Amino acid sequence: MEIRKDSGIMKWILIGISFLFLGVFLLLPLFYIIATAFRDGIGGYLVAVTDEYAIKAALLTLKATLISVLINTFFGLAAAWCLTKFAFKGKKILSTFIDLPVTVSPIIAGLIYVLTFGRQGILYKYLDPYGIQIIFAVPGIVLATIFVTFPFISRELIPVLTAQGTDEEEAAALMGAKTFTIFRKVTLPHIKWALLYGVVLCTARAMGEFGAVSVLSGHLRGKTNTLPLYIELLYQGYDFTGAFAASSILVIMAIIILILRLLLQNKGKREV
Amino acid sequence: MSEQIENAKSYVELKDINKHFRDFHASKDVNISIPKGKLVALLGPSGSGKTTILRMIAGLEHPDSGEIWIDGKKVNDVPGSERGVGFVFQSYALFRYMTVFENIAFGLRLKKTPENEIKEKVTELLKLISCEGLEKRYPSELSGGQRQRVAFARALAPNPQLLLLDEPFAAIDAKVRLELRTWLKEMITKLHITSIFVTHDQDEAIEVADEIIVTNQGRVEQSGSPQELYSRPATPFVAQFIGNSVPVKNFERFKHFERNDDDVTAILRPEFVSVFKEGEHVQYANSAEQAVVEDIIFRGSSLEIRFRLHENLISAYRSINEAPIEIGEKVNAFIYRMFVIKGEEISLVNNLSIKQESVII
Repeated sequence: MEIRKDSGIMKWILIGISFLFLGVFLLLPLFYIIATAFRDGIGGYLVAVTDEYAIKAALLTLKATLISVLINTFFGLAAAWCLTKFAFKGKKILSTFIDLPVTVSPIIAGLIYVLTFGRQGILYKYLDPYGIQIIFAVPGIVLATIFVTFPFISRELIPVLTAQGTDEEEAAALMGAKTFTIFRKVTLPHIKWALLYGVVLCTARAMGEFGAVSVLSGHLRGKTNTLPLYIELLYQGYDFTGAFAASSILVIMAIIILILRLLLQNKGKREV
Repeated sequence: MSEQIENAKSYVELKDINKHFRDFHASKDVNISIPKGKLVALLGPSGSGKTTILRMIAGLEHPDSGEIWIDGKKVNDVPGSERGVGFVFQSYALFRYMTVFENIAFGLRLKKTPENEIKEKVTELLKLISCEGLEKRYPSELSGGQRQRVAFARALAPNPQLLLLDEPFAAIDAKVRLELRTWLKEMITKLHITSIFVTHDQDEAIEVADEIIVTNQGRVEQSGSPQELYSRPATPFVAQFIGNSVPVKNFERFKHFERNDDDVTAILRPEFVSVFKEGEHVQYANSAEQAVVEDIIFRGSSLEIRFRLHENLISAYRSINEAPIEIGEKVNAFIYRMFVIKGEEISLVNNLSIKQESVII
């Protein structure tokens, strides 16, 4: 009895703390963003949102996100597959390296590419004659985004693939199924939800990436400015309405992703 | 030419197979020959290399050296899917996102079988495994026994010439296991398909298999019919592994057993021993030795009487219809025979009094 009464109090205290925390650190700032975005009225907001550079920045963000997510989906699948289905030398090292982007500061990630592809970089003299520009250009932004987001998909897949084992694949192979058929018919149905969940996380992270992209972009308005960079630019220029209006676009995109995530989680749970 | 004739006799043949997993020598000079139509058990303790042998026959593992022959063809370089084998995994490995129907149809679809034939074949197999009406279920909605049968049907669907089963009963509870054993034996006999199954359970192997191959530490110790293994074990390991055998110390102190050599050991099975109460009149009563009962285990149809003799805890069976014996009671024990091991040699030694009395009679 005593314990139950205790847990009753504890329960409410914990719930209270959680909500208070979320309120102060998340909802309040979110509300502040919206409030500031509409400070000059709906008209001011619309002007800021439909600004040519704002739209270009949003489109660039979407483009970089799309490319990175596509590439990382492929890479994540490949990495998760080889780490769970095969035994080979260097497996541990590969597994560790996949986690590297999570531990390394995004600024460093950006600098790595500047040092590799920049004017002083080792690859510059091979790429420049062909007119391939990586840093201070869109490819750099995409590279940086890929770098920071590449663990997300494989990390979602590895536990699921490990739990499944290789028996079903072996059974299919013994009946004469080719690798791609095995993947499509046996493996994919199993990892479908984890994969989609990974894609969602990867997308969310890719959209918001600031640090690494900031180093590589060169901040050319309308050309290499992604939404987060554009927001910072406006903010530095004391254009609070513009900055917060642009932020609200990012927030809306994030909320869409969040809802998708929730839907996927529920659907995935129901099927298992 | 002579090789072809040799292979014609046996359907599956392994010649001097060696297999390593890194530093672990999983198969050591394995030679196996399995005749067509037989149901064969690969029996051995865990880690003895029996599953490795099965997986090499299926093409799921590749030997480091040696040859694998199936149906008169060397299949070392033939992929598993073209060896004409059906494989039942220990975990069944049913495709969990496919219905029972789709699971069984999977192999047929890969062979581009026409839809009406698939339907016919799957229906026929479902009837064979008595799972009619379950075709729309998913594996997670089946009982353990049903899953096992579906796995069996799935392996059979593409008409394999050879059926391989990895610990087919390991994941099923005891009662269903006994039913399935009989069922599987009947099925395989009916279909007349050469089958090899892996097990660590000697009862299972003895009951189900026509022939047993005993493996230990990567080697094949002996192969033969259950009766042969039982009555004529070829190696000390087989003698100990088959039956409820116990090693015996102080062999020379047993009455009417002669020790001619110093470094011999002996193995005793409960059926080599009979136990009777003092005053009970039986044959060889004069040659029996006195012992005190330490433990009695009820085995359903019989009692296992455990007593200590010359520092050995020895078991004997006694019918429940005979006069009851109690723990602590003094009994007479007569030992008919023992397996005597010298190095790798093994021989069956009879109690000397048996010979003498038979001479008198």
